[in-house]
Amino acid sequence: MATRLKPVDAVTIGVGLTGSLAALEIAQAGLTVVGLERGAARYTVPDFQSPPIHDELRFAVRKGLMQDNVKEAVTFRNYSDQTALPIRRWASFLPGTGLGGSFVHWNGQSFRFQEADFGYRSHILQRYGQKFLDACGPELTIQDWGVTYAELEPHYDRFEYLLGVCGTAGNIQGKIQPGGNPFEAPRAREYPNPPMKETYFGAIFRKGAGSLGYHPYPQPSSNLSRPYTNPLGLKLQQCVFCGFCERFACEHFAKASPQTTILPVLLKNPNYELRTNCQVLRINLDSTRKKATGVTYVDDAGREFEQPAELVLVTAFPLNNVRMLLLSGIGKPYDPRTGEGVVGRNYCYQTTGGATVFMDENININPFMSSGAPGTMIDDFSGDNFDHSKLGFIGGQYVGSIMTGARPIEFHPTPPGTPAWGQEWKRAVARHYNHTILIQQHGTSTASRLNYLDLDPTYKDAWGQPLLRMTFDFPENDIRMSQHVADKVVDIGRAMGGKIVVRGGTKRPYNTTIYQSTHNAGGAIMGSNPRTSVVNRYLQCWDVPNVFSLGASAFPQNATYNYTVTIGALTYWALEAIKNRYLKAPGPLVQA
Amino acid sequence: MIPRRIRTVMIAALAWFGANSLMRAQNAGRPPDLKRGAVIAAQGTAAGAPACAGCHAFNGGSDASGAFPRISRQSAVYLASQLHDFATGVRASAVMSQVAKHMSPDDIADVAAYYAAVDAPLLPLKAGDSALIKRGELLATVGSAEKQIPGCNNCHGPGGAGEPPSIPYLAGQYGSYIASTLHLWQQGYRKSNPQGMGLIARSLDDQDIAAVSAYYQHVPSSLVGDIAEY
Amino acid sequence: MSEISRRSILKAGALGAVTILGGAASSRAGAPASTPRAPLFFTAEEAAFIDAAVARLIPADEQWGGAREAGVANYVDLQLAGAWGAGERLYRSGPWVPGTASQGYQLPFTPAELFRKALGAINKELAATPFAKMSAAKQDAYLRHLETSSTDLGGVPSDVFFMHLWELTVEGFFSDPVYGGNRDMLGWRMVGFPGAYASYYELVDQHGVKFDRPPMSLAEDANRHVHMDPNIPAYLLTPSK
Repeated sequence: MATRLKPVDAVTIGVGLTGSLAALEIAQAGLTVVGLERGAARYTVPDFQSPPIHDELRFAVRKGLMQDNVKEAVTFRNYSDQTALPIRRWASFLPGTGLGGSFVHWNGQSFRFQEADFGYRSHILQRYGQKFLDACGPELTIQDWGVTYAELEPHYDRFEYLLGVCGTAGNIQGKIQPGGNPFEAPRAREYPNPPMKETYFGAIFRKGAGSLGYHPYPQPSSNLSRPYTNPLGLKLQQCVFCGFCERFACEHFAKASPQTTILPVLLKNPNYELRTNCQVLRINLDSTRKKATGVTYVDDAGREFEQPAELVLVTAFPLNNVRMLLLSGIGKPYDPRTGEGVVGRNYCYQTTGGATVFMDENININPFMSSGAPGTMIDDFSGDNFDHSKLGFIGGQYVGSIMTGARPIEFHPTPPGTPAWGQEWKRAVARHYNHTILIQQHGTSTASRLNYLDLDPTYKDAWGQPLLRMTFDFPENDIRMSQHVADKVVDIGRAMGGKIVVRGGTKRPYNTTIYQSTHNAGGAIMGSNPRTSVVNRYLQCWDVPNVFSLGASAFPQNATYNYTVTIGALTYWALEAIKNRYLKAPGPLVQA
Repeated sequence: MIPRRIRTVMIAALAWFGANSLMRAQNAGRPPDLKRGAVIAAQGTAAGAPACAGCHAFNGGSDASGAFPRISRQSAVYLASQLHDFATGVRASAVMSQVAKHMSPDDIADVAAYYAAVDAPLLPLKAGDSALIKRGELLATVGSAEKQIPGCNNCHGPGGAGEPPSIPYLAGQYGSYIASTLHLWQQGYRKSNPQGMGLIARSLDDQDIAAVSAYYQHVPSSLVGDIAEY
Repeated sequence: MSEISRRSILKAGALGAVTILGGAASSRAGAPASTPRAPLFFTAEEAAFIDAAVARLIPADEQWGGAREAGVANYVDLQLAGAWGAGERLYRSGPWVPGTASQGYQLPFTPAELFRKALGAINKELAATPFAKMSAAKQDAYLRHLETSSTDLGGVPSDVFFMHLWELTVEGFFSDPVYGGNRDMLGWRMVGFPGAYASYYELVDQHGVKFDRPPMSLAEDANRHVHMDPNIPAYLLTPSK
């Protein structure tokens, strides 16, 4: 029997990036807010200190900071005619948990999306036409977001200054800047901090790519190049290039996270209450099914509570957002057979891969001296930055050398033809470890009616609720795209002086046993039409206006770049509408 | 524990590699001459630098006053970088800047390599205040949440035994020297790392400085010296 | 571990003298070898197979020791005896249905169960000529057979067993010595990985510098003594509320 608690104005389901950001805005607006985080509290001191945090086995291999599969997993199949089975151990993507969520152990790679990304369907149709798009794949379901880059720009700026992002602007108010990315969308002003020191592999890539006429630029980084005080008065420190970034937490206060950029202020706000170790089971709706009354959750002692609230913010990471809406009966679930319904539709991922460049053995790369967002890259093949009309696919990838460390359990490259184990393997590992550069390809994931999320009919979590079921394979379009870019990458590898260049490129079927990215997106997408979106352009649920679903679940498809900064911008955009319009007159912000 | 002779050779080898590959001196490529370094330590340089041994002792153990840092078995690269910083004013010291200005790049390389390879016992010192030492240990291993300071050992190595080549040991270093140099960092008289050590030092108050000084002085590390037994 | 003690232990192996596995506390080269301890998980017969198998997966050569010298068998034993072997962080509910390659591991076994089953089947099959007594060439051939076929080993396909064994071997060679492998940081010294202490601000832009600082374990003290503690669970222990 659930204990009914005193009502509050707002509740967030999850206290990661979007949960912290949203709670702060709303608490500062005078509302009482409860943050329900399923994992434990954790802070830079003492929890993230090294040397204990510099433990590759525990955190990178055993995924110590991630969601525990014992309690909750995801089931997976490539296609609808298969039976989905549980992902019994994370590999391909690594859902976070705990205070701060995956914003604690991300890499800090801090890109904006491009202007065309937000009106993707319109842009593609305008440039290439309907016939071209159909030829790329009749199953592709790309859509416009319903919001423009220009509308988001001030929010991008605000979020970047919250984090202290380090970089060199390439386009300030339309004027191309030397040293930056000439392809980037126009920004109002320079980054808050200068770029990080250049690593050796970054320099080698820059020279190689530059020699072929491409436009290398330093990767924008939320691992800081110098001490910084953000607009909330919180101080970050200088990154020391320890090489334990993604999957690890930062001991130096040098990586932007809720702990370093938001929480110390949020936790002092008298309107805010954090409750950790609280698993939200569902959002409760009234009898009309058009209004949320709050949430039901279970604490770590197994006690069930009902938390009434006027406003429910689903801030639980894209996969969990979609699952929460499905479990709560909010929105019509997507049916892939009919194409009807919206919740779970347009699930996307990220198309990644890359080349391995074996260099001369006299060149000491020292890749263990690195940060989470190091190196240099080029946008010459990102998005729609190049003419696709004769290529037969849409989308693109950025290319860069961005090795984030060289922890040896997972990094020990050997050239093709090396046996998988034994004497020769060992010799090759010793020979090449410090003389090898990885080039990454990272790009668009095109929405398809074949890829979606729903609830699994068989497997359950520890609380007895159905697991999320994921049906996904890379569209053929994305394979063609990555193979095209892979050819260009080989040329760059050779221009870098690689003695052996091993070509990358993505292949089908998508395999969940190989790590690729944790940029799961879509499933609760935004748009201007309630028949093809779950939330409106302010991330408000069409069906239940006092529920907002914040995060990359709103993306109709995934663009070239790592999406964290875009999530921050979109969240600030939605919160502006919530504070300035919704709270003054609760109700639908957009007429359907 | 590693036999002393092997340790000495290891440290010397490290110093050789370190000095050879990382020093900013113009003479990169010339292997340092430890014997010549010993002579400079004992007698000073022809250009007029006084003998290092006069303050730091011939074995680098200095004396218990803590006015002069222990430099025995300190990273050669670090020692050389400090001499360069003294010569150029990046690190302010009325005494040391005059010394360093009368040393050539070869002198610096040789003296640094010598002191990096020489042993000196850890002198018996009065035990500090136990509460202060406990606070120092906390700051060293875990840091401070309220002051946003990461633990010192993150950078200064296991037990503060150093992270060569660029980060010096603190274990066994004289507490009064640690305290005075932290004040120099605070006040901007040490300028080589304003955004790292400068920032951290400015986050420490006098109690914190006393605490880490008291703690590290008593961390026994065979890497920097054996405990003298009398 | 010294040559002499290993040989005599292999002789004693089948008789239950279960002191095959390497020392409890590791220290730097030149230190006296620590006393071997009895395995926590493996039987003597299983330990004999594991010891010999890892020695072929990452063999010693004239330049560097291999998995045996690095204490990989010790690491594997400790992992299987601990929380990971018992199935921590593994979604364990059924039904268990064979899946596609994209769907990953779908057997009901915990790692400990998987090893027990597979090793039982292997040792039964090889009862006449135990693996440890084969020539190196025959050992390699047998391992390749496990790797490339799906021979049923008590319910475990041999390629699945091989993959588990290989992954544990690589972990045992390259993980922090706190876990009982990578003894004397042999794996790290072989590739030049500096370990858990990692402040490189001054060095990252000295491109191409030769960096040969001896590696440092997260569990070593100011005297380079590594305090091994294998029972660290794979989740962040936090004293905060």
